Amino acid sequence: MKIFKFFITRIFFRKILIVISVLLLFFLSDYIVFTTARSTVSTFQGYNEMKSINQKGNYIANLDPNNSMDLGNIQKEDTQYIYDHLKAHNLKYAIFTDGLIIDLPNNYDMSVSFAYLNEDYYKLNKQFEISQGNELVFDYSLDSDDTEIPVLIGKGLSETYPLGSEIIVNEPALQKQVTLKVRGILKSNIYHSNMYSLNSKQYYNFSIVIPVNEDFLYSSDLGLQLQSLFDIILLQTSEQEIESLGEVLQNKLDLKFNFYTQEDNFEYYKEYYFHSLKIIGVITAILIFILTCLTVWNSLAGIRIMIKEFTINLFVGLSYSKLRKIFYGYYGIVFFINLIILFIITAFSRYGNWTRKDASFSTFGLFGIIGMDWLSLCPVLLFDIMIGVIIVEIMIWRIKKVPISLGVLQ
Amino acid sequence: MTNIIELAIQEKVYKNKRARLSILNNFNLEVNTGEMIAVVGKSGVGKSTLLNILGLLDRNYNGSYKLFGADANKLSLSQSAKWRNQKIGFVLQESALINSLSIEDNIKLPLLYKSPGDSQRSTDFENIVSTIGIEHILKKKPLECSGGEKSRVVFARAIIMNPQLILCDEPTASLDGENKERIISLLFKMNQEFNTTIITVTHDQEVADRHKRIILLERRM
Repeated sequence: MKIFKFFITRIFFRKILIVISVLLLFFLSDYIVFTTARSTVSTFQGYNEMKSINQKGNYIANLDPNNSMDLGNIQKEDTQYIYDHLKAHNLKYAIFTDGLIIDLPNNYDMSVSFAYLNEDYYKLNKQFEISQGNELVFDYSLDSDDTEIPVLIGKGLSETYPLGSEIIVNEPALQKQVTLKVRGILKSNIYHSNMYSLNSKQYYNFSIVIPVNEDFLYSSDLGLQLQSLFDIILLQTSEQEIESLGEVLQNKLDLKFNFYTQEDNFEYYKEYYFHSLKIIGVITAILIFILTCLTVWNSLAGIRIMIKEFTINLFVGLSYSKLRKIFYGYYGIVFFINLIILFIITAFSRYGNWTRKDASFSTFGLFGIIGMDWLSLCPVLLFDIMIGVIIVEIMIWRIKKVPISLGVLQ
Repeated sequence: MTNIIELAIQEKVYKNKRARLSILNNFNLEVNTGEMIAVVGKSGVGKSTLLNILGLLDRNYNGSYKLFGADANKLSLSQSAKWRNQKIGFVLQESALINSLSIEDNIKLPLLYKSPGDSQRSTDFENIVSTIGIEHILKKKPLECSGGEKSRVVFARAIIMNPQLILCDEPTASLDGENKERIISLLFKMNQEFNTTIITVTHDQEVADRHKRIILLERRM
C-alpha cells in the first residue's frame, strides 16, 4: 500500500497533465458507452411495451402529417359521433391519453397530471402495476352527484393520499367536481413509453390514473375525446372496418388518419429505430475505438515521460509484478473517478427534475437515479475493466521491452 | 575468501533487423567477497552490459551466473527485484535521481521496497548523510543541487540498504577533481568498513588504478 501511495502521490499525480488527459479520454469513452447503453435499454423497454399493443388485428391510429390542422372547427358532437360509430359497429378500442395538469396539494409540491385509459387499454398495456391496493375497476357510474371514481395514484402522492383516501377535485376532463377514491398505488417509477419514439418515456410518480368507461368518455369534454382519438387503438378488427372508420373521421373531423398494423409498426421500428440503433452502435464503436487508441497512445506517452522514474524504482527493488499491480490500482482510481463523475452527472440530471418540479420526469431512487441508469453503468464498468487490462498489459509489455538498464538512464 | 560472483558468459548478442553484435564472448569472472574491481575498456565492448548482467537486470545471454551462491538465472523476477533492493547497490551517474522527489526521498527510495519481515542490515540514514556531507541539501530537489552533490546523493541511495555488492557505472564521469576524490574515498570506506564488494565500470584510468584489480574488456574480432 505504501508503494502504491508513493506512486500515486509522488509519481503519477506530479504529472498532472497526463493524469487529466487520461481522465478526460476515459471519461469521453465512458460517457459515450453510458449514453448508448441507456438509450438502448430505454428503447428496448419501449419496444417491449409496444409489443403488447402490436397484436394481430390491432390497428393504431396516427394523424396524417399532411393534415392542415384546424381543430377549432371540431365540435363535441363530431367526436361524439365517432364514438357512437365505434359503438354501433361493435368496434373494440383502447384509448390512453395524459397531460392534463391540476394543482393538488402534496408533500412534494408537484403539479399532478391526470392519465386517462379505458379498460381495453388497461388490459392491453400492463405498465400500470400497483404496489398496494387493488387493480382498477371501470364499473362506476357518473349518474349520481356523490359518485366516487376509483383511481390509481403515483407513489409520490401516496404519502398525502394513502390507500382508501378520497380526493375531491375539479376534474379537468369532466369539468366538474368529483370525488376520486384511491384504490391502488402504483409501483415507484412506473413509466409509459412514447409509441413512436420508443426511448422517450414519462413517469407516473405524480399522476392520477383515471379509468375511463363509456359514461366518463361520453361525459367528458371535447379535449379528452379528441385527444383520445389521436392515438386510438382499434382491437381485433379488419381492414374494411378501419377504412370505414377512416372515412368517418375524414368526413366528420376533416382529419386524415392512417392506421398501422402490427406488421407496419414493426417495419417502422425496424426501419427507423433498429436501423438508427445500428448506426448509433457503429458510430459509437468507431468513436470508442478511436478514443481507446488515443488513450493507449496517451498512456504510452506517459510511460515514455516517466520511464526514468520507473527505471530508477526498478533498480532499487520494484518488481514488474508490483508495477503491474500499481498500474491496475492507478487505472482503478481513474475509472472510479470517472464512474463517480458519471454518477454525479446522472444524479444532477435526475435530481434536476425534482428541483424543477417536473412531475413527469421526477423519479424515486438515490438522487432520482433509476434502475435503467444503474444498468447502464454496468457496461461502462465492463468497458473500463476491459480497456484497463488492455492498457496495463500494453504498458507492462512496453516497459519490459525497454529493459531496465543503465542505458535507459544515460 | 568465498566467491560471491561466478560468471561464465559464452556470448551476449544484440541484434536488430540489420545487424548482429556479439560481445562478452567467452567471458569468465570470479569475484571474492570484499574485492574492489575496476572494469575498463573502449566504448561498446560491453562494460555496461556486464553491469546489467551482474546486477540481475539482464539475463538474456548464453552462460551461467552464480551470485551469492545461487543460480541467478533461476531467480524469479520478483526475487531479482528483492535482491536488487537488499543485496546490490547501484552507484549510477548523477542524473539517476527522480527530480520530483526531495533529496531525502531519493535517498530513502530503496527503503520503500523493504518488507517488514526482511532481515536487513540497512544503515542509519543520519549517519550516511553526515558521513557523505549532504545534510544541508536534504530538503532540496535534485535540480537545485550541483553535479557533485547529486553524485553523493546517488551514492547515499546505493548504500542505504548496506548492500553486499556495489555496482558503479562511471560514478565520477562528470565530476571535478575534488568531488571525484570524495566519491572514490566513500567507495573505499564502504569496502574497508563493511567488506563490501565493489565493481566499478569506468573510462577514467586514474580511478581504475585505485582499485585492487582491473579487468580490461576488449572486443574479440
